[in-house]
Amino acid sequence: MTNAIEIRQLHYRAGRAFELKQLDLNVPSGAIYGFLGPNGSGKTTTIRLVLGLLRPLAGRITVLGDQIPDAAPRVLARVGYVPEHPHLDPTLTVRETLRFQAAFYPSWDWPCAQRLRREFELDEGATFGRLSKGQKGKLMSLLALAQRPDLLVLDEPTDGLDPVVRRDVLSALLDYVSQRQATVFISSHLVHELERICDWIGVMDNGRLITEVPMQRFKNGIKRLRVAGAPPTAAGAPFMILAREQANGGAETWVVRDWEPEMAAYFATIGAALNDVIDLDLEEGFVELLRTFRGPPS
Amino acid sequence: MFHVVLYSQWKWSRLIIALGSVAAFALPLVSVQGAARPDTSPLQAAELLQSVQSWGTLYPVLAAALGLLVAIATWAPDHRGRHVHALSLPLPRWRYVLLRFGGGATLLAAPVIAVAASALLATWSATIPAGLQGYPVALAIRFALAVLVAYAVFFAVSAGTARTAGIILGLIGGVILVQIVAGVANIDLDLFGKVQVAVLNWPGPLAIFTGRWMLIDV
Amino acid sequence: MLKHTTCLCLLTVMMAMTPGRLASQSVERLQVRADSLLREWRRANALADMVDSLNHARAGGTDTISVGALRIVTIPSPARLREAAARAWPVIDSLYGSEARQLEQRPYLIAPYDPDTTSPKPTLRGATQVPWDKDVASLAMMLLMNVPIGRPDSALQNWLGGPVAPIVHPVQARAAVYVQLVTAPSQPARNCFLGVMNDCRTALTLGQSPDPVDQWHPSAAERRALVSRSFAEYFSYSDHGARKPALQSCRAGSDSACTELLRSLPAGVLPRPLTYDARAALVHVALRLGGREAYHRLVATPGTPIADRLAAAAGVSVDSVVALWRSEILTARPAPVTVPPWGPWAALGWTAVFAVCALRSSRWRVS
Repeated sequence: MTNAIEIRQLHYRAGRAFELKQLDLNVPSGAIYGFLGPNGSGKTTTIRLVLGLLRPLAGRITVLGDQIPDAAPRVLARVGYVPEHPHLDPTLTVRETLRFQAAFYPSWDWPCAQRLRREFELDEGATFGRLSKGQKGKLMSLLALAQRPDLLVLDEPTDGLDPVVRRDVLSALLDYVSQRQATVFISSHLVHELERICDWIGVMDNGRLITEVPMQRFKNGIKRLRVAGAPPTAAGAPFMILAREQANGGAETWVVRDWEPEMAAYFATIGAALNDVIDLDLEEGFVELLRTFRGPPS
Repeated sequence: MFHVVLYSQWKWSRLIIALGSVAAFALPLVSVQGAARPDTSPLQAAELLQSVQSWGTLYPVLAAALGLLVAIATWAPDHRGRHVHALSLPLPRWRYVLLRFGGGATLLAAPVIAVAASALLATWSATIPAGLQGYPVALAIRFALAVLVAYAVFFAVSAGTARTAGIILGLIGGVILVQIVAGVANIDLDLFGKVQVAVLNWPGPLAIFTGRWMLIDV
Repeated sequence: MLKHTTCLCLLTVMMAMTPGRLASQSVERLQVRADSLLREWRRANALADMVDSLNHARAGGTDTISVGALRIVTIPSPARLREAAARAWPVIDSLYGSEARQLEQRPYLIAPYDPDTTSPKPTLRGATQVPWDKDVASLAMMLLMNVPIGRPDSALQNWLGGPVAPIVHPVQARAAVYVQLVTAPSQPARNCFLGVMNDCRTALTLGQSPDPVDQWHPSAAERRALVSRSFAEYFSYSDHGARKPALQSCRAGSDSACTELLRSLPAGVLPRPLTYDARAALVHVALRLGGREAYHRLVATPGTPIADRLAAAAGVSVDSVVALWRSEILTARPAPVTVPPWGPWAALGWTAVFAVCALRSSRWRVS
């Protein structure tokens, strides 16, 4: 499997407060890669580095087989980008904005643009500055899709949108991906949204990538266990204990990572009993993961 | 590509360009108005020259103002979006800057043409005393160059970051500080004078603005 | 010492003369006499200053710099007076010719001072004070503008409107005269520009003029413009407003009223068609044509008409002098456009430089 985006040993610093250190990241071609992380974790900075908007201090970035930022113009012709904040010229109308964008992209698909405009119910004569937040979000997505890109880079594309608009935008993206087999690199802190659509997940915190796994493995690998009679230190565990809390009746609740069903036998070896294995959703898993990363496991 | 960039800049600059063109058209005509009417005595050549000279001081002012405002308007859409859209477009950055520069320069052709047309009209319609001559083409070329230089200066400044502005201000502050220190230490150093000479005299960057701007002269 | 004695003597003479004769003399004659006494007073003062300074020099407190016939009595200082004198002397010598010899007896008195100190400046009576760090060019200019040569007769001075002095920037001076010829509100001046040689003589006030108003400002429009633009205020208030009706008539279009008003102006007040610069340029042409003795011939015959004196100085007819003057003035036409030929390229070059600065801008890294 080739990677649409490959980052190796990336180093970038913005002022004194923020730094990306030794970042390695792989987005497989054809995948929908969810890029998770709290605010300020470095998601937007990483995306800007991927697009060549920022210049790294060290490391290598390869996007669609080309080096960034050296080959940025060639790469950007094949990338649809929806930034975190709408940034288009507020004085141009929707029609003029489409015309402006079309002039820069040889692969621009006018029928697709017109169809999406109708589907999104965007008024051609309305200026960008006067569109509502939802309409702006739709237009940004429209622009990214009408370029017929091989890679969609979406930075919080649905942030602040109402559920109806969010559904419209996401369904248009998914339609496109299913038709074109394009790769999607989508950042969001709306974990539930990513849980539905992504097949890969990467989690950033404080400028570092904590984990990068297929979605299924991430969801299945993080479990809440109810354990009774466990000794204070659980040596030789085949999984990673993210959290360990006292529960009622002398039992304990463990949150673990990299869990496999056959690992249940481990509890017998330490004289404990595994009473229950509970699936966690992505959000709970994400929160527990961050907790572990930020402090030592209890 | 150029036409969409030009159109985008037109939307930001059209009021400036329209007002600037009106002012540019009015200036040559007003400068000879009254002094060069057919019924005016040819003995009033001095008055004509005086009028042309005093109105002539407005050409460099207008050129600088147009350069400044159009340069600001040229970058305005990109500044609004913190340059994210511009940078995410699939073309080399130098080419995008040139497109923007060319767009602004093209729009500035309107006031330059207005000056040229008005200057030709003014010299054609005015009664010019013997010994004096009209210089509409030279004036229009000079105005065009002044507009272009002003636009380029402010375009470069406007393209810079706050850090760049800080460096420029720092340099100016440095010159002032050195001059003050030299004054206190009784050192014979005239930095202001040297800077002024370097900038305002040929071949300095702002020399095109200095001197007399005469539509009619000897 | 001598100065005070001389001055006292003169004052005594003035006081003795004045009361007895006042009644019998007209105001004009008294005015002339007063002017004459004033001139004598100044001359005596200058002489006294010079003698004092020379005495001071003899006492050992000063230096004397000699370059050609030029002498500078000065206080020892780092001022570069000798270099300045070396620059000024050829110009002075070429203008005054043999007459420049008289400068041996008429030294400059210059007192350089330290510009960077607040201590009292050195004194040299009647001397021009200059900071000693003044550059050579400025010092030479100062020497040229204050040549202590004997003043010519009053007829020449009155015609010229000032002394016969070196022209420091001849090209610019001729260019200024060109502008005058084109813009002067006087028909003779403009006709001179167009090539009417007789009008050149009129514009330069070389001919005898029984009625300068008619000769210098021959058209009615010109006279009316002169009255209403240059002398309206004067005629409104002079003689307690007695000339106000004439002024109104002039403004209403009466040429005779305008002419009468202009004729009523005191002598020397009516503006001449051209200024001192034009006539000085003419004198310089004559002196150049006449060689080393030209200045001597110019000042040798105070009683003769100016045109004849110029012809004598130049050694050719006055018409030839005027024709050469006109041709030199027309050649000195100032450049109308102040941008040099390569200026547009320089401007385009700077435009390119600033455009490249924009290309290199760090704005191209999103903050």
